[in-house]
Amino acid sequence: MTDKTILDNELKYQDLDHVDKGRVEKTLAGNKGYTRREVMKLAAATGVTLAVAENMLISGNKAIAATPKKGGSVRVAIDLHGPNDNVDPRLFTSGIDYARGRAVYSSLVQHANDLTPQPELAESFEPNSNATEWTFKLRKGVEWHDGSKFTAEDVVYSMNRHLTEDSTSTIKSVMATVKEWKKTGPHEVKAIMHSPNADLPTLLGLNQNKIIKDGSKGDWIGTGPYTMESFEPGVKSVHKRNENYWREGANLDAMEITAITDPVARVNAVIAGDVDMIARVDPKAYRQIRSADGVTLTSIPAAAQLGICILKNTKPGESDDFVKGMQYIQDRERIVKRILKGEGTIGNDTPISSAHGSDWCSELAQRQFDPDKAKFHFKKSGYSNADLFVAPVTSGIEDTCLLAQANCAKIGFNLNLKKVPNDGYWGAVWMKEPMNVVTWNMRPTANSQMAIQFGPNGNWNDTFWNNKRMGELLSLSLAEIDPTKRHAMYCEMQTLIHEGSGMVIPAFSNITDAIRDNVMGMPTVPLGSLGGLEFPEFIWLA
Amino acid sequence: MMKQMVLQRIAIGFATLMVVSVIVFVMTSWLPGDVASIILGQAATPETLAALRAELGTDQPLIIQYFSWLGNMATGDLGISKAGGATISSLIESRIGNTMMMAGLVALVSIPISIALGLYAAMHPGTWLDRLVTFGTLSTISVPEFFIATVLVLILAVNLHWLPSTTYLTGDETTWQFLKAIAMPLFTLVIVVSAQMIRMTRAGILNVMNSPYIEMAILKGVPRKRIILRHAFFNAIGPIVNVIALNLAYLVSGVVIVETIFSYPGLAKLMIDAVQTRDLPLVQACAMIFCGTYVVLIILADVASILSNPRLRQPK
Repeated sequence: MTDKTILDNELKYQDLDHVDKGRVEKTLAGNKGYTRREVMKLAAATGVTLAVAENMLISGNKAIAATPKKGGSVRVAIDLHGPNDNVDPRLFTSGIDYARGRAVYSSLVQHANDLTPQPELAESFEPNSNATEWTFKLRKGVEWHDGSKFTAEDVVYSMNRHLTEDSTSTIKSVMATVKEWKKTGPHEVKAIMHSPNADLPTLLGLNQNKIIKDGSKGDWIGTGPYTMESFEPGVKSVHKRNENYWREGANLDAMEITAITDPVARVNAVIAGDVDMIARVDPKAYRQIRSADGVTLTSIPAAAQLGICILKNTKPGESDDFVKGMQYIQDRERIVKRILKGEGTIGNDTPISSAHGSDWCSELAQRQFDPDKAKFHFKKSGYSNADLFVAPVTSGIEDTCLLAQANCAKIGFNLNLKKVPNDGYWGAVWMKEPMNVVTWNMRPTANSQMAIQFGPNGNWNDTFWNNKRMGELLSLSLAEIDPTKRHAMYCEMQTLIHEGSGMVIPAFSNITDAIRDNVMGMPTVPLGSLGGLEFPEFIWLA
Repeated sequence: MMKQMVLQRIAIGFATLMVVSVIVFVMTSWLPGDVASIILGQAATPETLAALRAELGTDQPLIIQYFSWLGNMATGDLGISKAGGATISSLIESRIGNTMMMAGLVALVSIPISIALGLYAAMHPGTWLDRLVTFGTLSTISVPEFFIATVLVLILAVNLHWLPSTTYLTGDETTWQFLKAIAMPLFTLVIVVSAQMIRMTRAGILNVMNSPYIEMAILKGVPRKRIILRHAFFNAIGPIVNVIALNLAYLVSGVVIVETIFSYPGLAKLMIDAVQTRDLPLVQACAMIFCGTYVVLIILADVASILSNPRLRQPK
C-alpha cells in the first residue's frame, strides 16, 4: 500500500503490497480456518476488492492509512555485525552497512521496487545517442548534515573513488565500464564511458555508490534522511531524523540499527516485541512467526541462488555429461516445497529468475528432475563418485546437497559431501575445489548478474566456463535499446549458460523477513533483506 | 616469603603473556585467508586485494607486523581494527565494562549461593536435600548453556512477556529496567557456573572430613557444624578458590554463547568476530585481556590458598 492513494473499490488483492497481502491472508486464515495457500488462490482467483480487504484488515485490528504518519522510533535487527562494520560506503559488504548507509547517505539514483532507476540526488539522467556518455543533472539546495552545501565536486570525488588504480572498492569491476566522472557545470556531472552501458543508472543504485563529502571517507556525514547520533561497531547505531532532509520521507523521530546474530534469538526478539523488524528468517521459523500475534512474515521472490559450481577447467567438471548428471539429479520441486518451505522459486541452471522481470527467458524449457537421464549422463561421463564441498553459505544449501546425495545414491552414484565451515570459505574453497556451493546476492540487472559469473575470464567466473559468444552478447546487449532484440539476446545468453556452463542452480530462495504489524511502508526491492535495505527512508509507524 | 612468591608469579605471568601473544599471532595468521580477503569476500579481485593489503599494512612480513604491534602495545597504543577502521580501545572500552559488570554480578550471586549450598550438602550427606543438590548440579553441568538460555527465553520472554529476550542496554534505563534487561543472561550464567562450584565445595569438604584430625575432633565430641566451619572449610579452601578463579576467568572470556543468544555486547563475542575477520591487532588485544585475567585470578587464588593453609608457605 506504499505511497498509493486508495480509491473506492479500485484496489484489488493483487495490488496490495506483499506485507498487506500477508496480513489479509493471515486474517482470513485465522477467521475462517483456510490455509494460507487456499487463501492466496481464492483471493487471486476472485480478485478481492478493497472493501473486503479493508474489512478483513479492520477485523484483524489493523488499520490502513494512506499517508505516512510522522513520529515514533523503531529498532531494527539485521543478521550480522561486528567490529568490521564500516563507515566508508566503498567498503560496504553487509546488510547492516547498507541499512546505515541508506539512513545516512544518499545516492545519485535509487532502486524502485521493480528495480527501475529513480532520481535521487540526480534530478535527471540522460545518455547520449550511443550511451557512451551519461549526463546527470544534480539537485539544487541539498545540504550535508553538517550544514555545508552539496556540490558537483562531492559527486565526482565519490564516484571516481571506485575507479582509481589503488581503489579498494568492492564494486570496482562492476563500475569499470565508466572511464571517468567529470564536473560539467555547477549542478551537472558526466560519466564518460569506456564502453556503452544502458544499465548505468541502475548500477548507481548499488549500496556502495553512496555520495560522500569531497575528500572524506564517509565519516557518517551524509545528505540522507537520518543523521548518525552514535555508532558502535558490532553493537548498534542510533539515528535521528534529519529535519533538513530535502524531500519527504524520514517519517520516524529516531531509529536504532543493531544485529542479533543468533537466528533463534532474532526471531524471539521480534515476536516478543523487543525489536520492530528483523532481517532473514530461517525456513525453520516460518511457522513460529506465522502463528505469532502482531508479527508478519514477509517473503519477496528474488534471484538469490542456491548454486553448485562445477569447475569446467578440471576433473570431473570438464566432462559435460558429468555436469548434466548433476543437473538432472536435482529434485527442484522438492527443494522449493520442502527445504525452502514454499518460499522460493525453481531454478533452471541459470542465475536469472522471474524476479529479473522482462530479461528472464521464460521460453527456455525447464530442466526437470530425471534420475534416469542423470544415470545415463553419469555413466557416459565415466565417473562413479565425486566430492562436493559444502558450507552453509545460504539457508537451505546444505539440505539441497544432502537431497542430491540421497538421490545420487539411488542411481548408484557416490556423491561425497565435504562439509567445511563458512569461515574463510570464499578465499579457501570457492573457485578452488572442483565442485563447491555458492550463493550470489541478486544484482539489479540481468546483465550484471550474468557478467559477474559468466563473463569470459572475469574475476568471479566461478565455474571457469569461458564462452566467447557469451562475452560478445554481454557487451552487445548493454548497447541494445530495442526491447525485442534485447530480449532475444538475453534469452540466447541464458540458453548458453543453461546448456554449457558448469553451474547447477536448482532453486532461488525468497527474501524472508519479519516485521511488527505497526510498521508500515516497507519497500519490496528484491536485492536484499528488508526491502533491499531501502527501508530507512520509507517506513513509518501506524 | 609471600612477597617473593607473588613477584615471581607476576614475572611468570608476563612471560606467559608474551608466549601467548606469539602463539595467538602465528595461529591466527595460519588460518586460511587474511583480513583483506575476508573484508572483500566474494567481491575480491587481485588488484583490490593488493590495494587493500597495502592500505592496511598487512602486506608486511609477519615478523614486522608482530613487532610493530608489540612496540605500540608497550606505549599503550592498541592500534586500529584492520577490519572496520575503528580504534581498538574504543571497541574494547564499552565491551570490557559490559563483560566485567556481568562477570561481577554473576560472581556476587553465585559464589555465596554455591558455597552455602555446598557446605549444607556436605554437612548433611545422604539427606534428600543433598541428593537434590547433587541431582540439580549434575543436570545443569550436563545440559549445554545454550539450551538453558533458549528455554529461559521461550518461557520468560516469548510466552510470558516478563523479561526482554535480548539484553539491549541503552545506558539511560532505570535500575528496575536494568535489572530486567540483565536478568536472563545473569540467571543463565549463575546456573552454569554455580553447579561446578557447589560440587567442588561439597567434594572438597567431604574429602577433608576423612582426615585423621577430623576424626580426632569427632572423638573429642565437637559438633559437626563446628567441625566443618572451623576445621574442614579452611583446609578445603585451596581447591574451592581455584575452581572459583577458573569460573570467573570463564565468565570474562568464555561466555560467547550467552553473549550471542542475548545479543549482549561483551568481549568474548568480540574475540570471535576478530578471529573470523582475521583482524590480528584486535585478536591480540582480546587475547591479552583474557590471558591477563587468568594470570591475575590464578595468582589471587594461590595467595588465598596459602593464606588459608600455612603449610603451603614452606616449600618442600
